[in-house]
Amino acid sequence: MLSKRQFVLALAITLAVVAAINVVLALLAHRTLPRRIMRRAADSPSAEVLAIGNSLMVAGFHESSFDSAAAVLPAHAAVNLGLGASTPVEQLLLFRYAIAHGMRPRLLLYGFYDFQLTDPVTMTNADLIGNRAILYYLEPEYARRFYSLPAHDVVEFEVMRFFPMFVERGAVWSKVEEFRRFLSQQGLPHERTNQFGRASDFSLLEAASSQEFAHHCDSALSAGLASPVEELLRQAHAAAIPVVVIEMPMSPFHRRAFYSSPSWPAYVSHLRSLLAPYDASFVDASDWITDGSLFADNLHLSASGGQEFSRRLGDLVRKDYSSQRIAATTNKKPRLMRSRL
Amino acid sequence: MMKTIRWIQDFLEYLGGSQDEPPPGFSITLSNAVFWGLWWGVLIAVILVFSGQSSKFIYIDF
Repeated sequence: MLSKRQFVLALAITLAVVAAINVVLALLAHRTLPRRIMRRAADSPSAEVLAIGNSLMVAGFHESSFDSAAAVLPAHAAVNLGLGASTPVEQLLLFRYAIAHGMRPRLLLYGFYDFQLTDPVTMTNADLIGNRAILYYLEPEYARRFYSLPAHDVVEFEVMRFFPMFVERGAVWSKVEEFRRFLSQQGLPHERTNQFGRASDFSLLEAASSQEFAHHCDSALSAGLASPVEELLRQAHAAAIPVVVIEMPMSPFHRRAFYSSPSWPAYVSHLRSLLAPYDASFVDASDWITDGSLFADNLHLSASGGQEFSRRLGDLVRKDYSSQRIAATTNKKPRLMRSRL
Repeated sequence: MMKTIRWIQDFLEYLGGSQDEPPPGFSITLSNAVFWGLWWGVLIAVILVFSGQSSKFIYIDF
């Protein structure tokens, strides 16, 4: 049996071990993906084109393909700050982070799919794992205005964000998950994977049926922009940064199953009207890639698909991108991409 | 074989706190505060490592 003194000593040692775990995780945390992207943002102040979005943008926007097609000078090369599994809240934060670190892009490319721009962002504390852990440490108080958490999760959030062992729990756990997947694959046919994980997992992000998707479209017809999207557009507009909202390329399956519904064009039309006050241009690239083999799963482009999409996007902006440079030097109002509207 | 299994059971029960006496050959007693402090810290680390995502969709992106 431990005496009171021994118990206190054991407890102190336990706390020391926990503190050591936190110190180690804090030191290792600079290697996590969100922090690498933040460093990229801070290291690219001269980028003239900034791309943001979720994993569709990560997979789809190939910087060098875009740059060569858009004739962007190497010194001002485009930078892709897309973050997988991110919501518009994290995307807003990365945009602000880039601007705060001196980036003054002449063009902001914002990729989306389905209802990302209008669905309100609701989360639980359990959702703030992996890439979304950025919400614990990048302007956490500011970001809280743009997403809702249940009341008890707010308390958890306020406690957890000060401890690396909670904030970075996803980075540790993912190693275990990778090992678990490796073991579960032994003796079984190889599962199709891509840079983000198991390809089949991403079908879970799609609507369960065409009817459900159409119903979502209909109900979103009365919705405004999600608050972080609205704020992103407002801040970009205030900074005179032209925004191009891109309906990202979708697999033939996704377009056939969901975008062929008459409700989708109605929703997109509604979306365009919501973007109009911010002078944001809209590019429908959903059908740019018709070859299903250029998709890594139902949602993400493969590397070759991303290059093709980026080249086409670069071609599209080339003329107006040049005039934008001239406009900037002559104080003319930018007309970037207007012709596409 | 059975003796070994029995020893492992006693050892784990001792570590888990359901037995007050260590199995034969294991010299660390309950009064060893340093060992138990480290052991609790290790347990917390193990809980951390396995406290993963509970949602159906598991996203890993490095």
